[in-house]
Amino acid sequence: MKKITLLVLVSSFALTACGSKSTQDAKPFSLVPVAQAATLTAPAYPSHVYFGETHLHTINSGDAIMFGTRLTPEDALRFGRGETIKSNTGLDAKLARPLDFMVVSDHSELIGGGREIYDGNPLMMADPTLKRWHDLMHGTTAEGTMASRELIAAFSQNKLPKLMYDPATAKQIVGSVWQAYISTVERYNQPGKFTAFMGYEFTSAPSGNNLHRIVIFCDGADKVSKILPFSALQSQNPEKLWDYFEAYEAKTGGHVLGIPHNGNLSNGLMFSFANFDGKPMTTDYARRRQHWEPLTEVVQTKGDSESHPFLSPNDEFSDFGKAGWDIGNLDLSAKKTNDMFAGEYAREALKRGLQIEAKLGVNPFKFGMIGAGDLHTGLSTSEENNFMGEVPIGEPRAGRASVLDKRWGSVRMGWQALTAGLAAVWATSNTREAIFDAMRRREVYATTGTRMSIRMFGGWNFSKADFRGDWVKAGYARGVPMGGDLRPGGAHAPVFMIDALKDPAGANLDRVQIVKGWLDKDGKPKEKVIDVAWSNPTIRHIGKNGKVAPVGDTVDLKTATYSNRIGAPELRTVWSDPTFDPKLKAFYYARVLEIPTPRWPAYDVVRYGAKLPEGTQLKSQERAYTSPIWYNAKG
Amino acid sequence: MPIKERLAPLLREPLVHFLLAGLAIFFFYGVFNRTVDVGDRRIVVTEAQVQRLATQWVQTWQRPPSAAELDGQIRDYIKEEIYYREALRLGLDKDDMVVRRRLRSKMEFLATSEAENAQPSDADLQKWLDQHAAKYAADPVFSFDQIYISAAGGDQAANIKAKALLKQVQLGTGTDGIGDNISLPQHMETAPLSDVSRAFGEDFARALKSQPVGAWSGPITSGFGLHLVRIRQVQAAQKPNLDDARQAVTNDWRDAMRETRENKAYQALLDGYQINIERPK
Repeated sequence: MKKITLLVLVSSFALTACGSKSTQDAKPFSLVPVAQAATLTAPAYPSHVYFGETHLHTINSGDAIMFGTRLTPEDALRFGRGETIKSNTGLDAKLARPLDFMVVSDHSELIGGGREIYDGNPLMMADPTLKRWHDLMHGTTAEGTMASRELIAAFSQNKLPKLMYDPATAKQIVGSVWQAYISTVERYNQPGKFTAFMGYEFTSAPSGNNLHRIVIFCDGADKVSKILPFSALQSQNPEKLWDYFEAYEAKTGGHVLGIPHNGNLSNGLMFSFANFDGKPMTTDYARRRQHWEPLTEVVQTKGDSESHPFLSPNDEFSDFGKAGWDIGNLDLSAKKTNDMFAGEYAREALKRGLQIEAKLGVNPFKFGMIGAGDLHTGLSTSEENNFMGEVPIGEPRAGRASVLDKRWGSVRMGWQALTAGLAAVWATSNTREAIFDAMRRREVYATTGTRMSIRMFGGWNFSKADFRGDWVKAGYARGVPMGGDLRPGGAHAPVFMIDALKDPAGANLDRVQIVKGWLDKDGKPKEKVIDVAWSNPTIRHIGKNGKVAPVGDTVDLKTATYSNRIGAPELRTVWSDPTFDPKLKAFYYARVLEIPTPRWPAYDVVRYGAKLPEGTQLKSQERAYTSPIWYNAKG
Repeated sequence: MPIKERLAPLLREPLVHFLLAGLAIFFFYGVFNRTVDVGDRRIVVTEAQVQRLATQWVQTWQRPPSAAELDGQIRDYIKEEIYYREALRLGLDKDDMVVRRRLRSKMEFLATSEAENAQPSDADLQKWLDQHAAKYAADPVFSFDQIYISAAGGDQAANIKAKALLKQVQLGTGTDGIGDNISLPQHMETAPLSDVSRAFGEDFARALKSQPVGAWSGPITSGFGLHLVRIRQVQAAQKPNLDDARQAVTNDWRDAMRETRENKAYQALLDGYQINIERPK
């Protein structure tokens, strides 16, 4: 009987259209009509958080194959769902905990074209640069890596061999690779168990300033096979990508969204006040950006883009994942200057969003937050003790933490790569439709790779008593979840109900913080980070500086271990904003910190006797960032 | 034995597929693309070839070529053919690393695409399933209750507390208000072990499997602390049937076959060679 119910449920989801609601008035459960929901015993609200990877490269990405990546989209999917895969350097790798969903997102620029260079496509070999890359690719991994860095630099500086900009060549190469990819993803999508989305990466980076977007389709082969990926070789302008999204939805009736990432490498461009062409942002741009880009990827292997010490000098935890990633743009062709930070980091962007909304009536930066990998090995590994590297030269071995990327006088070190982050999604089932819908309504959060479980609700009348009953049900009934809009509810302050449960296989929690951003009476953006729940509250108190003292440190570097004798398995609280002003626009999101744990280079020392460069960071406090809840004073 | 039955096993042989695919491609290129004889100084652009150039154009540009554009394509085809033959005449295909790699990759592509397109029969899949039954076995399914005991005061204190609580609940006076608060499920209904593991962690799930059915027991350890558990019902791992596991089985079969078939195809060619390796002394 049980089995039948499940089958009916799954097939009904399969029949439901993908993400049919617009972002602005998105509510949970828009996919299942109310009457149907009752008869199908579909959960009334998301009861599970699903962890997935939305950003991963394989042999189909030009830079990845040059780096030495030989794993295919199929290998990547098999690894993600828990199979043993032979890595690019010949190691057997298997995830202890498989992923729930996945997007293999290869660079759409000449997708599969790297293979043609490798194989010596005669058309390409006529070009001396492509021939040079061909030869390097058949050399050592170091030579391949050099070729890849040359490719990225040439691409960023608009100096690729002419042939690579030729649309006819692109169509010939891309078409068959794209169709093969689609059929592979379709074969691996297993509703209810393992969701495989189709997607790719739009790799816009004018002058090396990163404007990359991940593209995710909700749909299956019947719709996605009708189009080819849109690439930055066609246009670097994200607005053209949105045109393509519109055309796709009109042509197929399908659904698609874009996820910008690595604002930290954009040298101020990602969350600029201006349109792509440098003119002041228009209302139309703001509306389209909010609609097509409901999420931002804030943490991944190339650093953390939530906040920066320069922007938030009072936030002692904002330095996570900054080393090496805040010195320049993507290809290090331009150094970073302080005036650029504000256009790069998510917290500042959320504040800018309020400012622009006050002026134009629409908030372009009304986004939820996720983490992802951006690993170029085909292997999505998010934990510190299983990191398979950003690129093949970074796969497990003694010297990998020292590998340099040295260009134009700037240096990035191997140890500065982060393990993959994760996208945590509160969905009603593990299906393309349910997960995509949750992404559209921003009921998601970012983690740096841990699988902690976080609920956050905003409302007007929550109290501690709610935790004694079915508080999740109460949260949905009397409030909005993360990613939602809190409508004005009177003169008193909004109340937030937050619960954070540790990763069952991970570290205890240090504290829960609320990050509040708002516009003051003069329209100036402000922010505040408030400790709202923490472990051992009988011993740890809020100090004179308004902050809770550090949680301590149990990391033993000799063995690369830590102990959960500090911290707490769960932190929960009901918090009301003491400085709330009903006339002012604001947003609130939660940041949850784990106790300190060893970083991946610390494991390398123990396992391989790695000698680490001076300054290598060996510990960190892993964390999660929830999507904000917005309070719109106008309602 | 009728000829059809005798042919059947042969038709399943990877080598036969490989050779047939090669023959098909050879035929295709021979008829539609190139004359093989490089000494021949006559070039005939056949009607079929012109048609093919036009079709290629449509595939790339989504519209038919104009007369001038088609002429351009034909001119380019002739130029390519002449350069191709002259290059072969000059022996440029020999000792050129790029050409060697290109040809090798074409051969590999033939072998791979043959394996990619292989369609397993139900019998193939059933055989695979039987060979790997444990992998596809449905999870055992548990219905159970749990009481959480925090280890915040140290492991020893938690253990003592857990044992005392166990005695209390074993009396059957109810479980209301017993144990510490945590937002883990207090009851799970017909939950596959993988769901138990995702909520409570692997250690808990492993320990749960060896707990008695129908009575409170424990404590067992998780990443959160200690737990008393009472399994109400357990359904052992089910022998998988093909219809339930078809998708995973097909994917795994294909994945395994691809490598095997590629290797077999190469081995068949390798067998036709005598290899002498003279290593430097």
